[in-house]
Amino acid sequence: MIKVENLSVSYSDKDVLNSITLEIPDGSWTCIVGPNGAGKTTFLMALLGMNAYSGSIKFNGREVFKDMHRNVAFVPQRPQIPLGMTVREYVGLGRSKIDGWGRERRIGRAKIYQTLEETQLIGMQNQLVTQISGGELQRVLIARALVQEPEIMLLDEPTSALDLHHQITTLNQIEILKDKGVTIVSTMHDITLGAMYAERIIVMQNGKVLLDGSAAEVIHSNELKSAFDHGISVHTLKDGHTVITANKIRNEVI
Amino acid sequence: MKLEMQQIKPVWRWQVNAVFGLALIVVSVVAISIGPVSLNFNGIISTMLGRDSLLTDQERTLLLEIRLPRVALAALVGAALATSGAVYQTVFRNPLADPYLLGAAAGAGLGATIAITNTGKSFSVVLPLFAFLGGVLAVLATFLVAGKFYTDPSSLLLSGIAVGSFATAIQTFLQQKNSAVLRPVYSWILGELTVADWESVKWAAIYIIFALGVLVKISKLLDGLMLSDEEAFSLGISPNRIRMIAVGAATLATATAVSVSGLIGFVGIVVPHIVRGITKKATNRALLSIALFGAAFLVLADLGARTLIAPAELPIGVITAFIGAPFFLFILKAKRGRSQ
Repeated sequence: MIKVENLSVSYSDKDVLNSITLEIPDGSWTCIVGPNGAGKTTFLMALLGMNAYSGSIKFNGREVFKDMHRNVAFVPQRPQIPLGMTVREYVGLGRSKIDGWGRERRIGRAKIYQTLEETQLIGMQNQLVTQISGGELQRVLIARALVQEPEIMLLDEPTSALDLHHQITTLNQIEILKDKGVTIVSTMHDITLGAMYAERIIVMQNGKVLLDGSAAEVIHSNELKSAFDHGISVHTLKDGHTVITANKIRNEVI
Repeated sequence: MKLEMQQIKPVWRWQVNAVFGLALIVVSVVAISIGPVSLNFNGIISTMLGRDSLLTDQERTLLLEIRLPRVALAALVGAALATSGAVYQTVFRNPLADPYLLGAAAGAGLGATIAITNTGKSFSVVLPLFAFLGGVLAVLATFLVAGKFYTDPSSLLLSGIAVGSFATAIQTFLQQKNSAVLRPVYSWILGELTVADWESVKWAAIYIIFALGVLVKISKLLDGLMLSDEEAFSLGISPNRIRMIAVGAATLATATAVSVSGLIGFVGIVVPHIVRGITKKATNRALLSIALFGAAFLVLADLGARTLIAPAELPIGVITAFIGAPFFLFILKAKRGRSQ
């Protein structure tokens, strides 16, 4: 259980997060959406525990700030790509927390092999990370998080650089992890896609939680439309899924 | 157009290390035997093994008191500069980071000048420590001036040049002000390893081997510094602490090298890139190979410095710049091409 109370973060006197209080139960998938600059990534970073914040974030009763004991996997939006490192080595870094840096226990090796097979990366394990495509890199990042066997997984826009096919593949892999009991918190731009996978959607605006509820509740609320300046429409498909589209507004005055 | 994917087969590290180690020995023996007076190979080996010498007394002195310490010092300095270059490149996530270009060498030079002008001796035990302080301050200044753009080669380079020039200006001022001790300072700046004796080899070895030992020890943690700080933190390391230890040790190695040999550029860029090309390993995973290759490279460069225009001698920095500068431009161009 992650318990967030009165969380605020400010950068150079500007409040980026403002008094957020919420709870995230174990084994759930929470998706944070909102316009650019809403504070989504800052919230994710606060959960990671690396940067200073005011208020409190507790994981199983322990404050997360600088807490190295938790096993949190983090999938960044724009990862640093190391030179001269193969896919196998890069994925293997995920074991560092459990096996120790530069050490590979037999069980770790087996886990890496199994994960490379599951994520269909085994064929490219000897390729350099610098030479693979954006979609492959996202799979590699997920694979690294999988071998980490984390309790919590934080993903910053895991699908932003991917085509639809790879978006679905990536989200399916994250869902497998959730089914194993891992708590997932992801930020996403695409609410429709987020609502297909996450059981809970949090809409943020100007550093505050605007909406918090199940995917269906959030999507059909009027507040969601106001968060996007009424620039969106919600459609329900025959199979019950909802789709959010952007309204095409044409300026008639030339 | 789809680029053809290259399958990389990693070379076994001990094999690479064995080859580089052997190359270092061969290059060293060749360097010892060549000079105004050639020493014969069997004579060198028998003397070094402590057997009845096949060399005359004069040749023995030449071997033990002049050539051998000089080659040992070149090897130490080469290993120090190459390894610290590799570590700076990893820490700053910048392929052009190098002791010389970061201003570390110039800062160390300033520190050393302060030590020399105060002690009046061209080498003393405190010299590497002063050089170390100067080097650390210069790297810190370069890093702060570059700010958040430190991973961008041009930003880091420009601030390194500015900091380096500033340090050199103060150094020149100090030299002119203390003209009484000008001679030792100049002999040190030109360095060229000509002042090598067993005393300087001993102190250089102590500092450099200690610094390289620390770097090899933490080399696996450096993997984490090649990721973003958030990723490194999530994998259980505190990136800033590792960064400080790495920069501290790399700067100690650089400062010691600068204290005994003056300013020698480009070794820290050329060697790690060549070794990475051969081993196909991330730089920090091949530190020992880089140290061995760097040692062999500088022994060879010093041989060139002694023999190319014999009986006169070229500064060794000229040789390394001759090879390193075009190489540097090549990397800069390749890096630019990639980022576009």
